Amino acid sequence: MTETDSVAPLTSAEVSVKLFVDDRSVVRPLELIAVFHRWIKEGVLEDELMIDVANYEHVPKGPGIVLICDKAHYYFDVRQNRWGMRYRGRRDARATGEEAIVRAFGSALKAASLLESDPALEGRYGFRTDEVEFGIYDRLRAPSDAATLTAVRPALESSVAALYGEPPESLDLVSGAKEPFLVAIRNGTSPSVEELLGKLAAAPAG
Amino acid sequence: MEGVGSWQEKLKDQIPDKLGREVDIFETQMELRRRGEVDERLFAETRLRRGVYGQRYDNGQRHDGTQNRPLPYRDHPTKGPETIWDAPGMVRIKIPYGKMTADQMDVLAELSEDYSDGISHVTTRQDIQLHFVHIEDTPDMMRRLAAVDITTREACGNSVRNVTACHLAGVCKTETFDVTPYAEALKEFLLGHPDVQDFGRKMKPAFSGCAHEACGLVNMHDIGYIAKTREVGGKVERGFEFYVGGGLGAIPHPAQLLTDFVTEREMLPLTQAVCRVFARLGEKENRGRARIKFLVAKLGIEEFRRLVLDERETLPHDDRWTAYIDDLAGYREEALREGAPLKLEGEHSEGFRAWHDTNVRAQRQEGYAVVTVKLPLGDITADQMRSLADIAREFTGDNVRLTVEQNIVLRWVNEADLPRLYAALDVVDLGAPGAETIADLTSCPGTDTCKLGIAASRGLVAELANHVGHLNGATDPALKGLRIKASGCFNSCGQHHISDLGFYGISRKKGGRLVPHFQVVLGGKWVENGGSFGLATLAIPSKNIPEVVKRVTNRFVEEREPDETFTAFVERLGKVEVKSFLQDLTEVPSFEEDPSYYSDWGDPRVFTMEDYGEGECAGEIVPLVEFGLQASEREVFEAQLYFDAGDMDKAKAMAYKAMLTAAQALVKTEFYDITDDPDHIVTEFKARFHETKRFHDKFAGTKFANYLFQAHENGGNGGRPEQARDQVQEAQLFIEAAYKCYERIGTAGAPA
Repeated sequence: MTETDSVAPLTSAEVSVKLFVDDRSVVRPLELIAVFHRWIKEGVLEDELMIDVANYEHVPKGPGIVLICDKAHYYFDVRQNRWGMRYRGRRDARATGEEAIVRAFGSALKAASLLESDPALEGRYGFRTDEVEFGIYDRLRAPSDAATLTAVRPALESSVAALYGEPPESLDLVSGAKEPFLVAIRNGTSPSVEELLGKLAAAPAG
Repeated sequence: MEGVGSWQEKLKDQIPDKLGREVDIFETQMELRRRGEVDERLFAETRLRRGVYGQRYDNGQRHDGTQNRPLPYRDHPTKGPETIWDAPGMVRIKIPYGKMTADQMDVLAELSEDYSDGISHVTTRQDIQLHFVHIEDTPDMMRRLAAVDITTREACGNSVRNVTACHLAGVCKTETFDVTPYAEALKEFLLGHPDVQDFGRKMKPAFSGCAHEACGLVNMHDIGYIAKTREVGGKVERGFEFYVGGGLGAIPHPAQLLTDFVTEREMLPLTQAVCRVFARLGEKENRGRARIKFLVAKLGIEEFRRLVLDERETLPHDDRWTAYIDDLAGYREEALREGAPLKLEGEHSEGFRAWHDTNVRAQRQEGYAVVTVKLPLGDITADQMRSLADIAREFTGDNVRLTVEQNIVLRWVNEADLPRLYAALDVVDLGAPGAETIADLTSCPGTDTCKLGIAASRGLVAELANHVGHLNGATDPALKGLRIKASGCFNSCGQHHISDLGFYGISRKKGGRLVPHFQVVLGGKWVENGGSFGLATLAIPSKNIPEVVKRVTNRFVEEREPDETFTAFVERLGKVEVKSFLQDLTEVPSFEEDPSYYSDWGDPRVFTMEDYGEGECAGEIVPLVEFGLQASEREVFEAQLYFDAGDMDKAKAMAYKAMLTAAQALVKTEFYDITDDPDHIVTEFKARFHETKRFHDKFAGTKFANYLFQAHENGGNGGRPEQARDQVQEAQLFIEAAYKCYERIGTAGAPA
């Protein structure tokens, strides 16, 4: 792998971070349609141009309920029966390298935090952070293989270490060759979403 | 994408040259539009003919339930009238007669993840649609499709759309013969054909293997072919009943019989003649009356037939009309595995038996079955699509087709493999029973994504899917076989007119507020190729539609006569009686009593028509000459790029070609059959525009025309390399003169 290639995956706009719910028995994805519509109406995600809500609740283990934005999508996704909030950049990379990872974490955490505190959801939504799924939906820059993991590993490890205060316990490629590049990040601790957001806010601007 | 290459580079050995060139051209057209060098209307029709469609809210406005709010996208040129460049849109991917390979399915899965939202949507015309796609991604998407031999060309716009056909073609027990190779021949012949570039509206073709089943839906298509044989001199001859002028829309028209037998040899030329008549005489101004059904109705089928036959007589011969016939005998699908019967008396699960009962159909070929994979609302996730591709590889190879009921079928399944196949499908949630029953509901995208949608047809159908399993007599075979189909508006993409229980979105006012409603259409005939249209009865609030289904089906179960079809039952009941027993459901409570009536299914916003926009189904009416002039501009742009790259020979050749293209476009306004031969173009241009002085510039006289003549004399590539700059500039001036000439002949029709 060349030096140029080694940074290529993290030049993609299509970086994704998914946080899993801690108790799916109290979660009803359909209720999020109204919540996301209200977010659009109230301009809740200040950094995003929010456009519409797509409902795929009828499709098992699919994209779930999607808040469509101009430069990113926010999924409450039920893929592989693992429910969670997924931020996925779509266009115009907002950053590259470690900064891209940190920003994607920030966007996912922000959305998760909003769900946790949304009055309509009555505090039922909570997210664990001991496992996070990181991904790059860009098969040109980031094919799902060990080489891509090798390329992104240093940036991922240092980003997670900065956020959690310690490096991740493991980073494992969890996607097959035909799937988008997805990595399971497992951490020794599970700080709250608010705690992680606080750390991000306190971190010096990149 | 420096450092990592590009899809163009990565796939260069896999993309057929022609398809690759088409995508490159589209990318250049995009660049020209971004620079503001192509008119937005022309670009809109250009991208539509590449399958790149608009989507709801792409005018930069969205109603949030309280008020209309702007969506502040970046300030770019539009991609069509009132269509913001950055707003996501839909891409329609043509899958001719629904036939897909496993490798194509893998790519479709990838594209849905990389460019859309992870869902592939199967349409009622055997296409795949991806939503929320950015136009900037479309060239790469097209390249990735081209690498597996799929094109989006003419998937939208005023063109010949996807050629559809019965998904059982070739394996059906009741068909006359396999229509697949004929559908393929028609697709190949018409794609990009010059005679289908100047329609006032789209044209949808369909093939059916028989007259009595539904699958081909010929009766509701612009042009349709039903397989037929006849005996001539003791030999069986294949041909088709050839229909024209069918269509749904607001006013459904049954197709008219153009000829009761068109031979294999005449199928393509007769179709070409129909296309020419439609292009010449079809309505161009009033798009609401521009489909061929209106032309056939206006002229009458006898006159239309006469015109077509006259046209046929004058068509220049084309070897392709019959070239495909030699290949027919060689066409066959191969089974992956040897067929063997299923032992049904074994220990099969209840799930398997229910699935087998509705989703498995024995093929004509002993030991083989067709398996229908029922998709909710026509949607399939990327993971499922990939899994299904692998399942196909294991059980059937590339024998996969999409259906007009928004499902996917696997053909040539060894019957003995069915239990294992079911288990494999069930693991990925594709083993749901109920295919082609009342539980297999159809819907167009409606207000979810369509600009023309009035009501939430997908929301309604998702809701009805929760009810149909609990209907009185749900297992009664007569009830089980009914179809429910919904459209978001009167345009009928959900095919509500030909379903037993059909619904299309409308709105009504109550107390000054809008209420989403559906018009109830009962008793349409799905069989016999969509044999007859249902009876429009009442406008009912959306929230009461589940009760409509319950009441109507209940009454059918309880009151139908032995062997009475639903269509016959509705006819017997009559409109007055239907209205009478549904009348109370038309009542809408006040907003204060029940605000839920004022929102649509699956959309909590207070209902509004503010988001209703101008659809792109009708495309833009762009005269053929404008496409030609646009092509010449694109070519001169490419000539400039060659010049900038230091390739002077190519720059000169492309500049010359640009002038020829512009001249040809002008000639075509008077002489439709002008060829691509440079000598022919220059001769005709000289006679029609130069010698008549119609091309002459008020101040420069013959100067610009002489640029073309000079370049033509040099064979397009004469002179020193450094003259390339001059030739590119001359081409630019020639094209500008061509535009001026077009304006003059367009407005005054007189020489300058």
